[in-house]
Amino acid sequence: MTTHPIPSIHRVLGIETSCDETAAAVVDGGAVIVSSIVSSQIALHARFGGVVPELAGRAHVELLTPVLAEALEAAGSATSGSGIDAVAVTYGPGLIGSLLVGVAEAKALALAWDVPFVGVNHLEAHLFASLLEQPDLGWPLVVLLVSGGHTLLVEVSGPGRYRLIGGTVDDAAGEAFDKVARFLGLGYPGGPAIDAIAVDGDPQAFAFPRAFMAEGYDFSFSGLKTSVVNTVRKHPDAATEDVAASFRQAVVDVLVAKARRAARDVGAKALCLAGGVAANSLLRQRVEQACAEDGIGAFLPSPALCTDNAAMVAAAGWWRLRNVGASPLSLGADPNLRLVPTA
Amino acid sequence: MGGGSMNLLAIESATNLVGAALVTDGDSAAERSHQGGRMHAESLAPAIEEVCALSGLTVRDIDAIAVDTGPGLFTGLRVGVATAKALAQGLGLGVLAVSSLDILAAGAREEAGPGRARTVVVVVDARRGEVFASRYHFDDAVSGMDRAVDPAQARQVPPELVTPDGLAESLADRDHGPGESLLIVGDGAVRYRQLLSGVPAADLGLAERLSSPSPLTLARLALRRMAAGAEPSPPTDLLPDYRREADARINWEQRIPPPGTTWPSP
Repeated sequence: MTTHPIPSIHRVLGIETSCDETAAAVVDGGAVIVSSIVSSQIALHARFGGVVPELAGRAHVELLTPVLAEALEAAGSATSGSGIDAVAVTYGPGLIGSLLVGVAEAKALALAWDVPFVGVNHLEAHLFASLLEQPDLGWPLVVLLVSGGHTLLVEVSGPGRYRLIGGTVDDAAGEAFDKVARFLGLGYPGGPAIDAIAVDGDPQAFAFPRAFMAEGYDFSFSGLKTSVVNTVRKHPDAATEDVAASFRQAVVDVLVAKARRAARDVGAKALCLAGGVAANSLLRQRVEQACAEDGIGAFLPSPALCTDNAAMVAAAGWWRLRNVGASPLSLGADPNLRLVPTA
Repeated sequence: MGGGSMNLLAIESATNLVGAALVTDGDSAAERSHQGGRMHAESLAPAIEEVCALSGLTVRDIDAIAVDTGPGLFTGLRVGVATAKALAQGLGLGVLAVSSLDILAAGAREEAGPGRARTVVVVVDARRGEVFASRYHFDDAVSGMDRAVDPAQARQVPPELVTPDGLAESLADRDHGPGESLLIVGDGAVRYRQLLSGVPAADLGLAERLSSPSPLTLARLALRRMAAGAEPSPPTDLLPDYRREADARINWEQRIPPPGTTWPSP
């Protein structure tokens, strides 16, 4: 199906259900957040130490109606969809059973309101999150996207213009935090739990391995995770604070070193963080410091825009509708959707 | 139903058949469905668009929505229920929830006629070696020879999650009148045909044709229920009837997209 750009789009309803957040938002002109509602399922998955796909799928079906109603109401829009010009939804990557709920909902709303429908790549949406708060960042940018599902270094040379620089070869950074926190009995989600306890620990207590992998741009965290497990088994009396602090330090050292080198090599005007792990206090502090030393901008989005939300989906959808066009109603969800250059 | 005509949209996605039907007061009807290949999310919205176009209507002309809430395939049910909820919310309508087993029983009455479909056993494949099953007995004294009797009034055994062996055993144990046959339908009847054909008086002749609930049968059943006073529920209250606890396993692999990259435009 051929599509064509639709220049007259203003208000876009965004829907996000790719993992464990049910979210809906209305964004005007791809830039102004009119409303943004996120219902997190953290409590539901906490006792399992990670997201349970079937539970997530069920929760999305329960939450989608009230979350949408709240987002429309906060935007001053009736459920009749008055004032909504298009519906955008994350169609991948993510959990298939979760993605399908949002995709079905978005298509049905587009049908009911007779407005265009557009599928959005979740990773592209995270890149748009930074533009929502700071539209004048300047190009090119290097974005470090770190979450429970993803670890990517991306060069952005303009809206919709990406080049993938590096990715993880095994665990995502947030996943490593979740798994280590679970092992240490610190609860879920692991990032905030480790961040909180690490403040009281010695980051030099244990020399955990840093996987620089012959100085490429790819990441690997599974060896680090194994090393933490082996160390704790060998030293059962080790203070959990010290283990957490040393682990966090190892993750952040690698993330910052590679992101910084990528920014330098690309000649980036700024380095941006995106994704849930971007809320990590040590990572934010170290990125700021590195950018100051290198004389480039550091952009650290507010935590609400780092974690999964629908405002970034609406913003990315607005851009796609204007520059690429609508998606067909036969679009399915793609759990393994990847990020490639579009221009 | 007031003075005007009612346009009812039926949404079906509980098994590997996904589709929609639009009926206008039972007179005119349009149906579109797709079977196989797990294409629920891809097929449903286009099917809704098509049945509206075939009826010369727009989506905004829909007055009532009915959806199969299962039991059945979890992912299929979520696509159908999420679609019905959002359509209802966007159009300001309620939704009538209908059981997949009732739709299949109604389909058996339509297809086989009251004589052959006096006792109907509906068997829906629940995967992992289990089935969702329900038994209906259409008593002629109550329903006469009426094909349109609501299966809900004829249900003898409420929907249950059982093993095919357990089902075959309980069917073999029951008393049934002389010359009475058991009409067994649903995709579970197809999958466990060999086992169920051992049940005395089993009639599996329509199992293939009635392997999945049909959107049109759902639409007709919903229309009859609404004519009899059934009230649609607000979209908030509408949920799939899973009839099985969620499998609480974390699939870490599902969350890691492989490294390297292509990105097709949507």
